[in-house]
Amino acid sequence: MLALWVVRLLFLVVIYGFLFAVVRVLLRDLRAASKGPAELGRLVVLASPRGEPQPGGSYPLDAVTTLGRDVNNGIVLDDPFASAEHAVLTYRGRSWYVEDLASTNGTYVNGVPVEGVGPLGFGDEVQVGEIRFRLDRGRA
Amino acid sequence: MSALAQARPRTTFRIHPRPRPTELGLLAIVAVAMVVGAAGLGATQRYRAAIEAGSPPTALDFSPPDARALLLYLLGLLVVHALFVLAGRRTDQVLLPAIGMLGGIGLLLMQRLPQDTVVQSFGSLQLGLGQLQLGWLLVALGVITVLALAVRSDAWLRTYKYTWAAAGILLLLLTFVFGSDVNGARLSLSIGPISGQPSELLKVILVVFLAGYLSENRALLADESTRIGPVRLPPLPYLAPMVAMLAIALGIVVVQRDLGAALLFYTAFLALLYVATGRPSYVIGGVALFIAGSYVLYHLFGHVQIRVDNWLDPWRDPQGAGFQTIQALYAFARGGILGVGLGAGLPTIGGRPPVPAIHTDYPLAALGEELGLIGLLAVLGLYLVVVSRGLRIAASAHDDFRSLLAAGLALVIGIQAFIIAAGNLKLIPLTGITLPLISYGGSSLLANAVVIGLLIALSDRGIEPPPPPRPPRAIRRFRLRRGPAT
Repeated sequence: MLALWVVRLLFLVVIYGFLFAVVRVLLRDLRAASKGPAELGRLVVLASPRGEPQPGGSYPLDAVTTLGRDVNNGIVLDDPFASAEHAVLTYRGRSWYVEDLASTNGTYVNGVPVEGVGPLGFGDEVQVGEIRFRLDRGRA
Repeated sequence: MSALAQARPRTTFRIHPRPRPTELGLLAIVAVAMVVGAAGLGATQRYRAAIEAGSPPTALDFSPPDARALLLYLLGLLVVHALFVLAGRRTDQVLLPAIGMLGGIGLLLMQRLPQDTVVQSFGSLQLGLGQLQLGWLLVALGVITVLALAVRSDAWLRTYKYTWAAAGILLLLLTFVFGSDVNGARLSLSIGPISGQPSELLKVILVVFLAGYLSENRALLADESTRIGPVRLPPLPYLAPMVAMLAIALGIVVVQRDLGAALLFYTAFLALLYVATGRPSYVIGGVALFIAGSYVLYHLFGHVQIRVDNWLDPWRDPQGAGFQTIQALYAFARGGILGVGLGAGLPTIGGRPPVPAIHTDYPLAALGEELGLIGLLAVLGLYLVVVSRGLRIAASAHDDFRSLLAAGLALVIGIQAFIIAAGNLKLIPLTGITLPLISYGGSSLLANAVVIGLLIALSDRGIEPPPPPRPPRAIRRFRLRRGPAT
């Protein structure tokens, strides 16, 4: 029965057609993801009582990013409670770490003061002075 | 009507439909595949029935065996798609068609197997295998839709991880005390008219707990501060709750003799530990522990011994313990590369399909015979698509918990498919778990629907970020240099 045989094989062909279409979508998606500059992470401003930096704004992070009131920092914080060189965020191996640079008022991760160097996961909250940030994954 | 509409606050019912062309296109291919498959199945079944009756037909009738069921299923997929479009969230567009294809293949298979394999009657209404599977598939699609659209925050999973773990353990204990035995394993729990296998749901709970715990403590776990001789371990207190959770789950499962679930839990645990810490030493240690544990279990428990002996040499007892394995191997061999075609395989022995429990534990044997090696590879490819999609969602998730949760959920489906496929093919000893989304069974379908629904919800890329507010012209140049990039 030729017709039966053809229908049978057609079923398999359509399933493979489906797989082919899916793989094309996946490849397109991967290419789009690999095109953009890879960001290691992003610091989102959750709250800043003085409005500078603006809440909701975000900073793309370098592998070593310094925070503080001094203008030479990677992220300048206009906050009277921040030290001139307050903290540094570093990306080592596969994850982020935060180091408090002996600041006067300390650096907090999820409300807990950082002593020396501490790990920082994506989604964690960092507080410097009165400004609160959240560490997010970099945008693709 | 107008008075009522005006009384409503305006913001609550704003619908922003967002077209999902990729999903629609892929669903169209699924629909074509289902129609072609059902046509082939119907024609083959009628042709064979006619030959057995002694009158080979002159013309083939290519109508599907159960057109209404097919239509209902495709309509179900379309409704889910339409709801996703109306909800307007930017979620994954590949998962729904992929599981639609897997579920559809499962539905065709259940329609093809003898309908009296499982019969449930509701009053005067008697439902056979295919109809019951259709019902469960539609419920599963509903679960997927509800979870994918309703889950916007993961706080309820993240915050209550110990509560979830406790609920999971409680569920298992209840099964142990009140459950009923199926094939020597105490697996199913009946509450009134509803019965189910809690271990299916437990795998989701386990992943939620592990993701919550690991995302909180991953940096500590990657640390090496405790040394026992040459072995360096993370601080022990941080390892304890996780190991305890796993030990309880494994212990109960071994006591319940559900080896498949135990293997699934343990593998998922190792995989998540590796994803969270990136340390191969955990995996090596875990595999070493597994080998030692298997050796002990083999010598302690009779049911483990039977499984392993049966795997090493099923021909020792071909009519008894090895019957299922041998019949499945014969089925794969009959299928060959291209298969004999849906509906044409499985010569029955005394009116029954030759492989016992073919609709739950051995659907792969039926697919292998009727679709052949090519068809099996396609089915495995579909699982691969689900897993790769899940890992992609994990890679682009916003924080560690979501990332680990997505990876864990995807891996649990992949690992389960691998364990049962390898068991069917006699690559590893058979452990009775279901082939996700294809096997017959309400608990299995619903648990996997929860997994897929959560994955789709986690894939939400959020509302598109609003354009950055434009500062007044005078200070814009100053801000460009040192302002927050939005």
